[in-house]
Amino acid sequence: MEDSKVILSVKDLVVKFKLRGRILTAIREASLDLYEGESLAIVGESGSGKSVFTKTFMGLLDANGWVDSGSIMFEGQDLAKYKTENDWIKIRGKKIAMVFQDPMTSLNPLKTIGKQVQEAVELHQGLKKEEAKKAVIEILRDVGISEPERRYKQYPHEFSGGMRQRVVIAIAVACKPRILICDEPTTALDVTIQAQILNLLKRLKEKYNLTTIYITHDLGVVANVADRIAVMYAGDIIEIGKCEEVFYNPQHPYTWALLSSLPQLGIKGKPLHSIKGTPPNLFYDIKGDAFAPRNPKALKIDFVEKPPYFTVSPTHKAKTWLLDPRAPKVEPPESIAILRKQWGLNKDE
Amino acid sequence: MLKYSLKRLAQSLVTLFIIVTIVFLLMRLMPEEGYFGQAYEKLDEAQREAILAGMGLRDPIHIQLMNFYKSILSGDLGVSNIYRPKVPIAEILKAKIPYSLYFGLTAVGISLVFGVSLGIIMARSKSKIWDKLGTGYIVFINAVPAAVYYLFIQLYLTDVFKIPMLFKPDVPASWILPAISMSLGGTASYAMWMRRYMVDELNKDYVRLARAKGLRNKAIMVKHVFRNAFVPMAQYLPSTILYTIAGSIYIESLYSIPGMGGLLVDVIQRQDNTVVQALVLIYSSIGIIGLFLGDILMALFDPRINLHKKGGAR
Amino acid sequence: MSNKKINKVADGITENLFEFAEFDESEAQRAGYSNYSYWRSTWQVFIKNRVAFFCLILMIVLVTFTIIQPYLPNQKLPTKIYIDEKTNMQLRNHPPDAEFWFGTNSIGQDLWSRIWSGTRTSLLIGLAVAIWEAVVGIAVGALWGYVRALDRPITEIYNVLDNIPVTIVLILMTYILRPSMTTMIIAMCITGWLAMARFVRNLIVIIRDREYNLASKCLGTPTSRIITKNLLPYLVSVIMLRMALAIPAAIGYEVFLTYIGLGLPVSIPSLGNLINEGRALMMVPSLRYQLIFPAIVLSMITISFYVMGNAFADAADPRNHV
Repeated sequence: MEDSKVILSVKDLVVKFKLRGRILTAIREASLDLYEGESLAIVGESGSGKSVFTKTFMGLLDANGWVDSGSIMFEGQDLAKYKTENDWIKIRGKKIAMVFQDPMTSLNPLKTIGKQVQEAVELHQGLKKEEAKKAVIEILRDVGISEPERRYKQYPHEFSGGMRQRVVIAIAVACKPRILICDEPTTALDVTIQAQILNLLKRLKEKYNLTTIYITHDLGVVANVADRIAVMYAGDIIEIGKCEEVFYNPQHPYTWALLSSLPQLGIKGKPLHSIKGTPPNLFYDIKGDAFAPRNPKALKIDFVEKPPYFTVSPTHKAKTWLLDPRAPKVEPPESIAILRKQWGLNKDE
Repeated sequence: MLKYSLKRLAQSLVTLFIIVTIVFLLMRLMPEEGYFGQAYEKLDEAQREAILAGMGLRDPIHIQLMNFYKSILSGDLGVSNIYRPKVPIAEILKAKIPYSLYFGLTAVGISLVFGVSLGIIMARSKSKIWDKLGTGYIVFINAVPAAVYYLFIQLYLTDVFKIPMLFKPDVPASWILPAISMSLGGTASYAMWMRRYMVDELNKDYVRLARAKGLRNKAIMVKHVFRNAFVPMAQYLPSTILYTIAGSIYIESLYSIPGMGGLLVDVIQRQDNTVVQALVLIYSSIGIIGLFLGDILMALFDPRINLHKKGGAR
Repeated sequence: MSNKKINKVADGITENLFEFAEFDESEAQRAGYSNYSYWRSTWQVFIKNRVAFFCLILMIVLVTFTIIQPYLPNQKLPTKIYIDEKTNMQLRNHPPDAEFWFGTNSIGQDLWSRIWSGTRTSLLIGLAVAIWEAVVGIAVGALWGYVRALDRPITEIYNVLDNIPVTIVLILMTYILRPSMTTMIIAMCITGWLAMARFVRNLIVIIRDREYNLASKCLGTPTSRIITKNLLPYLVSVIMLRMALAIPAAIGYEVFLTYIGLGLPVSIPSLGNLINEGRALMMVPSLRYQLIFPAIVLSMITISFYVMGNAFADAADPRNHV
C-alpha cells in the first residue's frame, strides 16, 4: 500500500464560519494524504470538525462557511479554489460521493426511492428512462434490497432504517465515484444492522474499486473497516497512521485519553478514565496545542507554539511536542502501556 | 386515500349539519322586525302574530328545526320579506351568484399565481432586496385592515388609471380593480407560506443529499424543494377561498358589484332576516367545502397523510 | 522534513519550554462557560431589530399620548359641536388650521380630539379582546394539551368551530345583538380564543412529552418549577405574539363591521367610525383629510403591533440567540 498513489492531498486547510456575527475557525491547518484504494477512518468527538473537513472536498459547506486558506489537490485541480456550481458539478457524485448519517431524513419523503436512485443514474451514467430503471433495479439488488422491482415504487417511509441506508448507499455508488465518504453511516442504526451495512460497504469497495473515508466516533467501527486512522481534535488532524500503529502505539496525549476512555480498556476495580474539561471554543484563536488545557502532562511549550508533525514511522506521525527529542519522557496511562506491550510482543513475532 | 377522503367527507357533513343547526338557532334570536319591514308599524299585535305563525315561527322549536332541514334539503331557502318581498331567495341568488363566483375564482387564481411566485422569489433571494420588499408587502397587508387599503385603492388608482369607480358589467376596465383588490390578501398569505416552507425545505437533509448527488441548484429547486413545499400549501387553498369570501363582502359593496356579498350588506342594513339566514348558510357551506377540498388535495400530494397525522396541522 | 521544521521553530524556543506546565483544571472548563440568560438574550435580539424597536418606541409614545391627551391644555371635546360665533352656523368640514389641528368633520366636531378618542376606544376593544383571548385561550389550551382524556373531544369541537368563517359569526352576532361596544367585544372574544387555544395546546403537547421535562420530573422537580422554568418561557413568547396580533385584528374587524353597518354607534368615536365618516366624503379632494388622518393613525398602530409581535416571537426563539 505504501506504493499506492495519493489521489487526494490536503495541505494546511483552514475553514472558517461566520456565526451570529463572529468568526469560528472550524478547521485549523489540517493536512491529509489519501491513498488510492485505501480505507481511511477519521475519528474524533463531536465538534472536532470531521464532517466539515470532508464537506470541503465536495463544496457542501453551509452558506456561512468558506475555505480561508490551504489547498485540496485532486486530479491535478485545487478544490479549495472552486467557487461556482459549475466547478463542483464535475466533482459531486461523479468523482466524490457521500453517504450521510441519518437515513430517515436523507431521502425525499415525497418521491419513490426508485426515482431518487434513478436521478443519480441518469445524471452520471447517461442512461435514459427504461435503461436507467433497469440499472436502478440492479443496483438495488446489489445493495441487498430484496424484490427490487416492487421496492422501486415505494416511498421512504415504507422502508426500515437499515434499508433506507442501503438506498442512500445505492445512490452514492450509482454515481461510480472514485472516493466514497461515509459520514457516520451506522450511528443512527441498530447494532445488528451496523454490521450488515459495514459489510456491504466493504463489499462495494472491492467491487467498484473505491477509496473510502469513514467518519465516525465509534472506535469499534474503525477496527472493523479501516486501514488507516486519522484522529481529529479541534479542527486539526493530530495523529495519523495505520490502524494497528495508532491503536497499539498511540503517541498524542489526546489519543491516549481517547483510547483509555474506552470502557473495554478499563481496568477492573479502578474508576473509568474520562478526559477533564471540554473541547476549546473555536471562536477564539488557539495558541499552541489545542489539547494542552486538558492535558495534565502538558509542557510549557504546548501553550506557546503549535506542534508540527513528528514522524514515528514511515506511515505514522503525530503533532505533539512529546516526540521532540528535547521533551521529557512521558509515560502513557496504564491502559495504553498495556496496549504498547502487546504491540511490542506482536511486532517481535 | 379513498378511506381518508370518505372519512373527511363524513366529518365535513357532520360539521355542516352542526352549523346549519347553530345558524338556525341563532336566527331564532333575530329581532322580529326583520320579518316585516315597513309593515311592522302598521300591523297590530294580532296581525303580526298571525303572519309569524303563518311563517311557522311560532311552532315549537323542534318542529321548526325539522321543517328547516326539510326545506334546505329540498333546496328551498325561503322567501325574502323586505328586500324583494315574496320573492323566493333562491331566485334572487341565481342572478347574484355568477358575479361573486367570477370575482372570487379570479381572485383566488391571481393570489395563487402571484403569491406562490412571490414566495419562491423571496425564498431564493433570502434577506436580499426581493425578500425585504416582499416582507414589507406582507406586513402591510396583514397589519392594515383590508377595509382601509381597499378604500385607498379605489380612491387613488381609479384616478391614476382612469378607471371608473363603480362596476359596470359592460365596461371591461371596471372588472380589474375589484379582482385585484380581492386577491391582495391571498397573495400575501401564499407568498408568506411559500417562502417559509421553501426555506424550511432548503435546510433539510435530503436537499443536501441531492446536492451531493451532483444535481444542479435549479434542478433541486424545481424537482425537490418546490414540489415538497407546495404540498402543505394545498391546505391553504380553502383558507384563501374563505378570505376571499370575506373580502368579497366588502369589495362588492364598495364597487357596487351585484353579487352575494353586496347582497349581504344590503340585507343586513335592511334587516331582512330570511335572506341573512340563507346567505350565512351558503357562506358557511362554501367554507366547509373549501376546507374539505384542501385536505383532499393535500392527501393527494403527500403519501404519508392519514387521518390522525393531520390533527391540528392548520 | 520534520527535522528541518524543528530547527526553524527552535530559533525562538529555549530548553525550559520543555518542562511540564502547571495543570489548572479550571482552565480546562473555561472554554465552555457562558452567562446566558434567556430573557436578556431575547431582549437583545429584539432590540437589534431596529424596525421593531422603533415600533415599540412609537407605540409607547402613542399610547401614552392617547391616555394623557384629554388632560392636556387646549384640548377640545370629541363630541362637542362647534359653532361659528359670527354666523351661528356649525363649523362644518373645516380644513386643519391653528384652532382645529386636524380640522372638523361634517357636523362641526373637532377631528383631532375625535381621532384620539377613537384610538382610545379601538385600543380598549383590542386590549379587552386580547386579554380575554389570553385567559380563555390559555385555560382551554392547557387543559386540551395536558389532560389526555380531553384531547379527542376538544379536537373534534375545534375542527367544527374552525370551519366557520369568522366574519360570518361576527356579522351574525352583531346583527342579532344589535351593535354596541359590548356586542363587538363579545363577538370578537367568542371567535378569538380559538387560535390561542390551538397554539397553547400544540406547544403543551410538544413540551409535555419532551425528555427534559421527564428528566426534571425524575429529579423530583416540583411541578410549579417545571411550569415556571420549563414551560413558561415557551408559552410567554407565543402568548405575547398572539396578543400583539390580536389588536390589529380587532381593529380590522371593527372597521369591517362598521362599514357593513354593524359598527359602533356614531356617538362613540372609534377608528372604524372615523374612517367610515371620512369615506363618505372621499370623493371631494379637499375633504380627504377626514379619511387620511384616521387611516394613518390606524395604520401606525396596526403595523407597529404586527411588527413588534413578530419580532418578539423571532427574538424569543433560542435558535436566534447569540
